[in-house]
Amino acid sequence: MIWRFIKSLFLIDLMKGMWLTLKYTPQPAFTFQYPAERRPTAPRFRGVLRLQTEPATGAQTCIVCDQCAKACPDDLIALGGHREPGQKIKILDYFDFNLSRCSFCGLCAEVCPTKPIKALIMSEDYELGSYNRDTQILRVDQMYDGVPIEQYTR
Amino acid sequence: MGLIDHRFEDNFITTSIDRVLNWARESSIWPMGFGLACCAIEMMAASASRYDIARFGAEVFRASPRQSDLMIVAGTVTKKMAPVLRRLYDQMPEPKWVISMGSCSNAGGPFPTYSVLQGVDKVVPVDVYVSGCPPRPEALLYGLMRLQDKIRKEGTTLRKERTIMFGDTEPTLNSERA
Repeated sequence: MIWRFIKSLFLIDLMKGMWLTLKYTPQPAFTFQYPAERRPTAPRFRGVLRLQTEPATGAQTCIVCDQCAKACPDDLIALGGHREPGQKIKILDYFDFNLSRCSFCGLCAEVCPTKPIKALIMSEDYELGSYNRDTQILRVDQMYDGVPIEQYTR
Repeated sequence: MGLIDHRFEDNFITTSIDRVLNWARESSIWPMGFGLACCAIEMMAASASRYDIARFGAEVFRASPRQSDLMIVAGTVTKKMAPVLRRLYDQMPEPKWVISMGSCSNAGGPFPTYSVLQGVDKVVPVDVYVSGCPPRPEALLYGLMRLQDKIRKEGTTLRKERTIMFGDTEPTLNSERA
C-alpha cells in the first residue's frame, strides 16, 4: 500500500519507461537515406530485363533465337533479326519489351542459351517510373545494360 | 487551384507565387491508404522506419479521401473495385495526383481476364506509373520523387486538363517492323 503510493508519487514506472526510450536514443538511425545511398540488392534479385553485350568488344551476344519470347507467359517480348552474308550470327534488328505488364518472373532470362556472356539478364535496376504508358515499352536501344535511368531533377 | 481561383478580378497574373505554392504542395503530399494487394505491403514498408517516406513529407496515410492529395493505387484493381476507386478519387479535394504502383494497376499485370481492370488509367487519370511486381520501396520513393518533379513544373492556376483515354490504352509491341 505504502509502496504503491511511493511508486505513483515519484513516477517510478514512467521513469523506467523513459529510461528504456533513452537507451535507444544514441543508436544510429535505422533509415536508409535512399536517394543518397542505395541499398545493395540480393544476389538473386530480379530487376528489369537487360541485354548484355561482350564486355571487351561491345559486340552483340543475342543470337535471335526467339526462346525468350516463347518462354514469356504474357507474350511481352517481340524480337527479330536478319542474316548478313559472311556473318555467323543473326543481327538483332528490334527487341521490344513491354515493361508495363511484366511480373519479373525471370523465365526469359532463364532460357537464354548464350554462353559465356548471357545475352538476356535480370539486372539490378529497379527504379522504373514513367509519366505515360507509351514509354513503358522498352526498345532495343533502351534495353542495353548500363543505359542510364531517367532521374529526378533534385 | 482552389486557393486563388476567383479571388481576384480577371487578367490577374501569378508569377513567383507559383514556386512557393508548388514547393508547399510537393513537400507535403498526403497519400491515401489505398492498398489493394501485395503492392500494399511494399507501400507499408516504404512508410515504415527503414525507408521512411516521411523524409519526403508523405508519411501521413489518411484514412479519408477528403484529407488526402495523392492516391497510391497499390495492387490489382478488379472491375468490382473500379467504381469504388473512382468515387474515392472524386471525393479527394482538388490538387490531387495518382500514382499507379505495380504491374497490375499499370496494365492489368498477369491477369488479362474478364474480372480485372486492364490498367487503372481507364477510370482515373494517372500521373506516375511505377513498374515492378511489386516495386521495391525505393522504387515507390523514386516514383514519388518523379511526382514531385511533375508538381514542381506544373503551373498553379493553369493546370492541364486531365483526361482518361478511351478504348485500348495498351501500347502494342512492334512485331511487324523491319
